[in-house]
Amino acid sequence: MHKLLARQLAKVHKRFGTVDLPALLQLVSDAYEQSDSDRRRTDRSISLMIQELEELNRELDRLVQERTAALREREAELCAQNLRFDAALKNMAHGLSMFDKNQRLIVCNDRYHEMYRLTPDQTKPGTTLRAIMEARLAAGIRAEDGHAYIEERLRKVRGRRPYCVENEFHDGRTIAVSKQPMHEGGWVAIHQDITEQKRAEKQIAYMACHDGLTGLLNRAVLLEKMEEAFGRLRQRGGAFVVFMLDLDLFKAINDSLGHPVGDELLKAVARRLSACARQADIVSRLGGDEFAVLAMADGNHREEAIAMANRLLAAVAAPYDVDGHHLNIGTSIGIALAPEHGTDVDQLMKNADLALYKAKSEGRDAFRFFEPAMGTEVRTRRSLQIELRKALTNEEFELHYHPIVDIKTRDIASVEALVRWQHPRRGMIPPGDFIPLAEETGLINPVGEWVVRKACRDAVCWPSHIKVSVNLSPLQFRKIGPIDMFCKALADSGLPPERLELEITESVLLHGSAENVAKLHQLRLMGISIVLDDFGTGYSSLSYLLMFPFDKIKIDRSFVRELSKNADCASIVSAVASLGRSLRIRTVAEGIETDNQLTLVRGAGCTHAQGFLFGRPRPAAELTFRESRPSPGGPQQIKSQAS
Amino acid sequence: MRVEQLSWSEAVGWSASARIGAGLVLYFGTRRALTCGKRYRELRAIYPDAHVVGCSTGGQIRNDDVTDEEIAAAALAFDATELRVACEPVPSPNRSRSCGEAIGKALAARDLVGIFVLSDGLHVNGDALVSGITDAVGQKIAITGGLAGDGAEFRKTLVGADRRPRTHMVAAVAFYGPAIRIGHGCVGGWDEFGPRRRITRSRGNVLFEFDGKPALDLYERYLGEDGVKDLPVSALVFPLRIFDPDRPDHDIIRATLAVDRNARSITLAGDVPEGWIAQLMRGNFDRLAAGAAMAARRAADGLGPSRTGDQIAILVSCVGRRLVMGQRTADELEATSAEFGPGISQLGFYSYGEISPHLVSGVCELHNQTMTITTIAEALG
Repeated sequence: MHKLLARQLAKVHKRFGTVDLPALLQLVSDAYEQSDSDRRRTDRSISLMIQELEELNRELDRLVQERTAALREREAELCAQNLRFDAALKNMAHGLSMFDKNQRLIVCNDRYHEMYRLTPDQTKPGTTLRAIMEARLAAGIRAEDGHAYIEERLRKVRGRRPYCVENEFHDGRTIAVSKQPMHEGGWVAIHQDITEQKRAEKQIAYMACHDGLTGLLNRAVLLEKMEEAFGRLRQRGGAFVVFMLDLDLFKAINDSLGHPVGDELLKAVARRLSACARQADIVSRLGGDEFAVLAMADGNHREEAIAMANRLLAAVAAPYDVDGHHLNIGTSIGIALAPEHGTDVDQLMKNADLALYKAKSEGRDAFRFFEPAMGTEVRTRRSLQIELRKALTNEEFELHYHPIVDIKTRDIASVEALVRWQHPRRGMIPPGDFIPLAEETGLINPVGEWVVRKACRDAVCWPSHIKVSVNLSPLQFRKIGPIDMFCKALADSGLPPERLELEITESVLLHGSAENVAKLHQLRLMGISIVLDDFGTGYSSLSYLLMFPFDKIKIDRSFVRELSKNADCASIVSAVASLGRSLRIRTVAEGIETDNQLTLVRGAGCTHAQGFLFGRPRPAAELTFRESRPSPGGPQQIKSQAS
Repeated sequence: MRVEQLSWSEAVGWSASARIGAGLVLYFGTRRALTCGKRYRELRAIYPDAHVVGCSTGGQIRNDDVTDEEIAAAALAFDATELRVACEPVPSPNRSRSCGEAIGKALAARDLVGIFVLSDGLHVNGDALVSGITDAVGQKIAITGGLAGDGAEFRKTLVGADRRPRTHMVAAVAFYGPAIRIGHGCVGGWDEFGPRRRITRSRGNVLFEFDGKPALDLYERYLGEDGVKDLPVSALVFPLRIFDPDRPDHDIIRATLAVDRNARSITLAGDVPEGWIAQLMRGNFDRLAAGAAMAARRAADGLGPSRTGDQIAILVSCVGRRLVMGQRTADELEATSAEFGPGISQLGFYSYGEISPHLVSGVCELHNQTMTITTIAEALG
C-alpha cells in the first residue's frame, strides 16, 4: 500500500475498527488535486524554463556571433598591423632588436642582420643575448677582451635603465646602440650605423684645429697652446718664444704666377718650417702668407731664439721648384719672448706682430725682437692712416708743380705734379711719408685719381704748349684700371691727351707682365706721353728701353749730383742722352741745382732739365708761363707769388 | 535529561499530566489556539518550575506527524544544565539588531553553549536579529531556532516566554555548562532551475529587479493565474537561491513573505543585496525529504558520544516546504525520524524562517525553506 494511503487510512481510522469513509475520500481527493496542481506547476515551470533558456540561448548565440565578428575584425586588424609593423621593421634604416625579460630575442629586423653580419639561424626568436653577443664578436666587433665585453653588456641590460653604447668593428664601422627597457621587462634596442658621422666628427675636429691648405695647426690652436704655455709659465716659471713670419713679396708671386703656384709655395714653406721646429714646438699658419712658431725655451732664450730665427730664415730662403718655376722668397720674422714681452696671449701676439712689422719695414728677409718703442711708432702710423682717410674728404691734399725746362730755350716745357698733404695739425707732410702708407691701406687709388684729375683741371688753364706730368706708382698701375680713369679725367677737364705725361718707374716693367705693356701702349695710343722716371737707380736694364717706346727718360738726380766729381757718372749721363737721341727719346736731367750742372748736362746732350735751379715746386696759383715762345737763352719765366 | 511529550486538542485537552520536574517547556500551536493565553497558563500550572516558551506556527510537528489542530509540546528536565531565558520586544524590523544585542547581552556568560531563539515571523529582520545576538555572545556560540508562523495567513505571529504569547516579541533560551550537548543541521534539498539572474535593484529585503526587469513579473509568470491569486503564499513554492558572485559556495535560500503589486516588488525573509546572483528553486518530494534527512544526520552527529538520558530534536521547517509537499509533508518527518532512530523524540513547527549556522561557513544566520534541526542532550560523568 502506498505510504500516503496508509497515512490517510490511519488518519480516518476510528475506534472499534471503523473508518470515516467521507473523510478518507476527501483526503484521497485532496491528494489527487494536489498531485494535479503539482504536475501543472511543474509542467508550467519546465516549459517556461525551456522558453527562458531558449531566449537565453538565442541571446548567447547573438552575443557569440557579435563577439566572433568583433574578434575576426580584431584579428584582421592585428594581421594588418603585423604586416605594417613587419614592413616598417624591414624598411627601417636602423637595426632593431627586442629581447624579453629572460634576455631572449623576441624579434629583430634584416638591417640588424646586415649590421652585425649575422645569419637568420643565429637570430631565431628565443636565442639568448649571450649567444648573439658571441656571434657578433665572431663577426667582427672589436673588443680587447671578448669575455669582459660580453659580461659588461649583460650587466648593463640587467640594470633596466635606458642607456646608449657604441660597438666598434674591425672594419672601421661604428654602430650606436640605444636601449629602452620595456614595461613588462626586457628591452628594445635601436642600432644605428654612425660610421660616417664619426668620420665627419673626426674631420670636423681636425678642421677646427688645422689649416686646410698646409695641414699646419691654425691660429685658434696656436692661441690655445700659448694660453697653456702661459699657464705652465705661471705655475712653474720658464720661458717661451713666439716667432711671427710673413713671406716677403709673396703677393707678387701669387699675382704673377697664379694661386695654384702660390698655394704650392705656401705648402713647401710650411714643410720647411715644420722641419726646423723641434718636437715640442708648435708651427701654425695664421692665414695668407703669415706663419707663427711657438717654441719652448730651455736656457738663454734670446740666443736660442736668434739661432732658431736664423734657421727659419735660411730654410725659407732656399730656392723652390714649384710646377717648373724656379722661385726664391724671403721672410721677415718678428720675435716676442715670454714673459719679458708679454704676460698674456694678446699682448705677446701683438708685440710679435709689431716686431714683424719692424722687420718688414726695415728691408725684409730679417728678424727683429720686439722693443717697447715699436709700439709708439706703430701708434703714430696708425693715427696717420686714419687721418689720411679723412684727408681725402677734407680736401687736405694739394698739388705743387715742378717745372721741366727745355735746355736749349730754358723755357718751361712741362711741369711735374707733386702731391702735398697740408695736415691741419702737423703741417705739410711730404709724399715720402704718406704715399707708402697710402699704398699699404689701398688709399693710393683714390689719392692717385685725385692727383690726375686735379692736374688735368689745373693744366687746362695754362698755355697750350705746357704739358703736365703725373707720377703713377707700380701698385696703382697694377690695381686700378688706369685707362678708364685717364679717359674720364681728360674728358671731364677738357685737357687734350697730348698735354698729359705719365711718369712710371722701371718697376712697372720689372715683373714684365705683358698686361702692363699693353696698358702703356693703350695710353700712348690715346695720345698720352709715357716717361721713364728715375732711370739709373734700379736695374736700369737697357732692355726696358726696347720693351717700350718711351717719350722721355728722366735721368736720376744721383748721376747729376756726381757729374762734376765722377767721370763714370758723366759717361753714363752722356751714354743715356746719346741713346735717347738715337732712339728719338728726349732725356731729362733731374736735380739741376747749379749752372755748372746745367752746362754739363747740356754738354752731355740732355734735351731737358729739372731742378731747383729753375725753381722749387709751387702751387698752381703761383705759376706763371710765358704765353709766347721766347728767344733762345731768354730768362726763365716763372714767378713765384709767395717767394 | 528526561523528555516528556504532550499535546493538546480541543476535544481532549492536554494529553498528559506532569511526571517530571521540567526546567523547560517548549510548545507550538496555531495563532488561534495561543492568542487567549489559556494554554500558556495551563502549562504554567502543570510545570510550575519550568520556563514555558512557545510560538504560533504554520503547522506543528510531533514525532513524524504534522498537525494543525493540536498543540505540540515537550517538557525537558535537565540533570546538570543551567537555563536562562530572555524575552525582548521588537517594535519594528529596523530594531531587530538592537533587540538581538539586548538578548545576547542578557544571556552572555563564559559557560554559554547554545541559544535557541523564537522570533516574531513578520516584523523582524532575521539576519539583523541573529547578527545582533552574535555580536554580544561571539561567533562560537551556536544560535538556532526559527521565526513564528501564521499558517497561510501571514497576518500575525505570536511569541512568548514565561508569559502569554504576543506579537512583536523575540524569546530565547540559553543553555550553560559542560553537560549540555547541542547539535544542529540545516539543509534545503531544493532543486535549482532556470537561468541565473543578477539582482539589479533591491533595498534591504525588498527585491525590485532581476536583470533590469521587475521581480514580481517573473514570479507571476511562473506561478500562472491560479498562483497569482494566492500570492504571497503561492510564491513559497519557488524559493530563491542567492549568492555573492565572489563566494558562490556560500549560497542562501530566501522565501517570499510579501508582494507589492504597485512597485512590482517582492519582500523576502532576509536581505537580497544588489549585484548578487539569484536562481529560482523548486521542490521535489523525495529530494526535500532527503534534505531533511541530511539535516537530521548532521544534527545527530553534532551531539557527539557519551550521551545519557532522553534526547530531543527540535525541527523548524519552512512553511513553504509544507505548501509544496501537502499531504506528503510527513515524508520529511518520517525521513528525519528514521535518521534519528527511536532514541530521539521529535518536536517542532513549520516556520516563516529558520535560524542556524551556515552549513559551509558556520556563520549563524537566517535561512528560508530549509529543514533546520536542533538536537539537545546531556552527557554526564
